[in-house]
Amino acid sequence: MARTNTTARRTGTTVSFLLMLAGGVTMVLPFLWMLSTSLKQSNLVFGPPEWIPDPVDWANYAEIWDAAPLATGLVNSTIVTVLVVVVGTFSSTMAAFAFAKLDFPHKRIIFVALLATIMIPLVVLILPQFLVYAQIGWLDTLLPLIVPGLLGNVTMIFFLRQYMLGIATELMEAAKIDGAGFFRIYWSIFLPLCKPAIAANVIIVFMATWNDYLGPLIFTSSPENSTVQLVIASLNSYYAEQTDFPLIMAASIVAVLPVVVLFTITQKYFVESFAFTGIKG
Amino acid sequence: MTTMTTRRTQNMRRRERFWGLLFVTPIGLQVVLFCIVPIGIAVVAGFTNWNVIKGTYDFIGLDNFFEFLTDKYFWIAAGNTVFMLIPIPFYLFFGILFAIGSHRGTPGNRVFRILFFLPYISSVVALVVMWKWLFNYQYGLVNQLLAGVGIQGPDWLGDPDWIKTTIVVMIVWKMIGITSIYVLAALKNIPEVYYEAARLDGASPIRMFFQITLPMLSPAIFFLTIVGIIGSLQTFVEVQLFTSDGGRNYSAATVTYYIWQKAFVSNELGLAFATAIFFALVILGITLIQFRLSRRWVYGGE
Repeated sequence: MARTNTTARRTGTTVSFLLMLAGGVTMVLPFLWMLSTSLKQSNLVFGPPEWIPDPVDWANYAEIWDAAPLATGLVNSTIVTVLVVVVGTFSSTMAAFAFAKLDFPHKRIIFVALLATIMIPLVVLILPQFLVYAQIGWLDTLLPLIVPGLLGNVTMIFFLRQYMLGIATELMEAAKIDGAGFFRIYWSIFLPLCKPAIAANVIIVFMATWNDYLGPLIFTSSPENSTVQLVIASLNSYYAEQTDFPLIMAASIVAVLPVVVLFTITQKYFVESFAFTGIKG
Repeated sequence: MTTMTTRRTQNMRRRERFWGLLFVTPIGLQVVLFCIVPIGIAVVAGFTNWNVIKGTYDFIGLDNFFEFLTDKYFWIAAGNTVFMLIPIPFYLFFGILFAIGSHRGTPGNRVFRILFFLPYISSVVALVVMWKWLFNYQYGLVNQLLAGVGIQGPDWLGDPDWIKTTIVVMIVWKMIGITSIYVLAALKNIPEVYYEAARLDGASPIRMFFQITLPMLSPAIFFLTIVGIIGSLQTFVEVQLFTSDGGRNYSAATVTYYIWQKAFVSNELGLAFATAIFFALVILGITLIQFRLSRRWVYGGE
């Protein structure tokens, strides 16, 4: 009996390993193909599939900087993303703390109103925003991509509020008796306790901002205000016709790299903070 | 003494209210300025024939609504938008499968988790670039591999019958990782005692899956379905990137694409606004119906 159980379990593990391996390979192969193509000479990509380029040619990675305003795109994306992530995280954590632990007038109504905004289709908001930005002279600047993000992120607030609800209120009462102000309680008690959840959310906001294509597409137009995604998209529509696939692949890899690196560093926080919060809301 | 404590408590309350309101001011401003004001503009503009270039507008009542509702292309776009719901059951299925594998501690699951996340964290722009190359009719890896086993692959990107399928496959591939993280988190929250009790009663693993795991996952599945449907109905970026004009015969255009095209390509702003409002109401309706239906199948749902 015991033996059949272990055998069954071992078979189960083997099956599940093979399934996950198949899944993992499916996920990663397109990326490897992209990397492999980016290291080939432009005229060598039209033969039968060849996984290891011969010769390995790094020239595309040098060429992309002249082929498109990639450097400008990277600088613009970095400005937008850093500002939104750093300032927006403060705004979001403050709001999350207030919703979780403070008592103030109309708290419930404000919170429900925030959640309701998630359900509004983006296109309904983005058209009128476009008109407003046109009026105040923000079109073709980075401001529409930055300013709303500085004020916080509703998903992050919701997520962190759930997380903070799980932290004992006694901590706060004790600090109050010691004469700590509310800002100090937020800053030196709740922020440090929420580190894993904040880390998970920072990467999500970073990703969403860095990868955003819709905002830049609609609100900016000139090359000097392009973000990296716009640069890649226009490079793609231009060079795909000339079938210079290795060049486009190299540029895409440069655009994807920052997010992949950041995610690999912070990924251990993901499951932990998701599990802690639960998603019954 | 008592009055002093009361005064101190009152003072504390006042300060708590002050800080509470101050802390939610930024996000409150965001909602008012970038959400409520825009919606107000959209609702008014939907009843006008606003022309951005000329800067003129007149109120024309419901004309915009009649116009798109009788537009053949709007209905093609509506059909394509429904098509974009197809990925949801697929990525839910694979996401659950992967989460269960990860949860039972399959060797290498931490590495797999990073690999499964790669498509999700990459930008749609990069993914489309990659897929256009992979699915290139003549030289793409996919058709070359298919040719290797004697199958002539279709024109994934150009053929109106295939372009939507190509987009669907990409979305499934992209969404499995994030889905599995949500499911994995929900799995970790199922108390182990349920399984111990079931094992004592001699329940088979399959029975335990259907009687314990699946019901306990239902809130997470519900959440993912709601968010998935709201997101899928708004599919736009993939369409715009894969096809610059909505595809041959408008074969890939979605409702959001239709709205974008009316607003920014043909400058019919009033029409775009009217379509957007109508679309928002449809999404709201669908979401409310789902919450209604959820009472029947979501465990512990109100």
